[in-house]
Amino acid sequence: MDEIKSLLNRPKYYNNIDGVGELGMGFMMLGFGLLMWLQAHAPKGSAWHGMWAFAIYMTVLFSILHYGAKAIKTRYTYPRTGFVEYRKHDRIWTGVAAFVLSVVASVALFAGRRRHLDLSALGSLFGVVLAAGYAYRIAREVRWKLVVAGAIALGSLATAILPANLLAAVAGEIGAAHPVRTKLYGTYLLSILLIGTMFTISGGISFWLYLRQTREER
Amino acid sequence: MNQQIKTIAELDRVIHEPGRLMIVALLSAVEKADFLYLQHETGMNKGTLSSHLSRLEEAGYVEVVKTYRGKVPLTLLHLTGAGRKAFEQYRRKLKEAL
Repeated sequence: MDEIKSLLNRPKYYNNIDGVGELGMGFMMLGFGLLMWLQAHAPKGSAWHGMWAFAIYMTVLFSILHYGAKAIKTRYTYPRTGFVEYRKHDRIWTGVAAFVLSVVASVALFAGRRRHLDLSALGSLFGVVLAAGYAYRIAREVRWKLVVAGAIALGSLATAILPANLLAAVAGEIGAAHPVRTKLYGTYLLSILLIGTMFTISGGISFWLYLRQTREER
Repeated sequence: MNQQIKTIAELDRVIHEPGRLMIVALLSAVEKADFLYLQHETGMNKGTLSSHLSRLEEAGYVEVVKTYRGKVPLTLLHLTGAGRKAFEQYRRKLKEAL
């Protein structure tokens, strides 16, 4: 029975067999981080603070992620280890879970800000929870990725004890008048950049190993 | 004991064969997959995999669609409704027997 269960889970691991799943996550987080950085450091009145810049940036970012991943899969993965189309049912639930999580996080942030609570520790908590999920879902199958999970957890915890002036430098103009907001923004931005960098490196190594260990079959 | 033997005897013979069980389990977790994916995941050679797929197709559990991606031939496989139902039933019976 356990072997059947393991076979049923194989397609989930297959999605990241080439590291493209992680590369995509890494680029997405680095993209968000870059946008947050630009919004914090661009001069007042700059286009980066406008809604249009945000919408165009997001469209470009998600187009690169979608078509880039598709191109890599078509060019390298399908000819080497085959093509899989996932069940719509699974994709819908992943989307619903991501939506619910982002709504809960946004409501918590909004409520915390209204009550002037110091939520900067949540940035670190987010990193630790993500590292635990990563260790359970991905590093369980590919052991060396436990190092990546550990680095994400430790790095996220380290952002919580960084000096306030460093966080203020990272947060730039955002919340310059509010020390709590500065700390919050600085911690989140650093966590996102750290996690994005780790995912990109890990995905890049996986992709390199995949290309070395497989060859085109057709 | 008798009941356990009876339940085991009632297991779907088409699916019970280890090679075909692997194929059906893998296909049940996806919408569709190609021949190469199944070959990679099961570790079977082309001949063995083809023969198992033919048996599953005969039973009406798997549908095989031959198509092209660009100029490259592509064999897509997916579990039919009957195949999914048979696999669910097989798992339920196996659980009972164990």
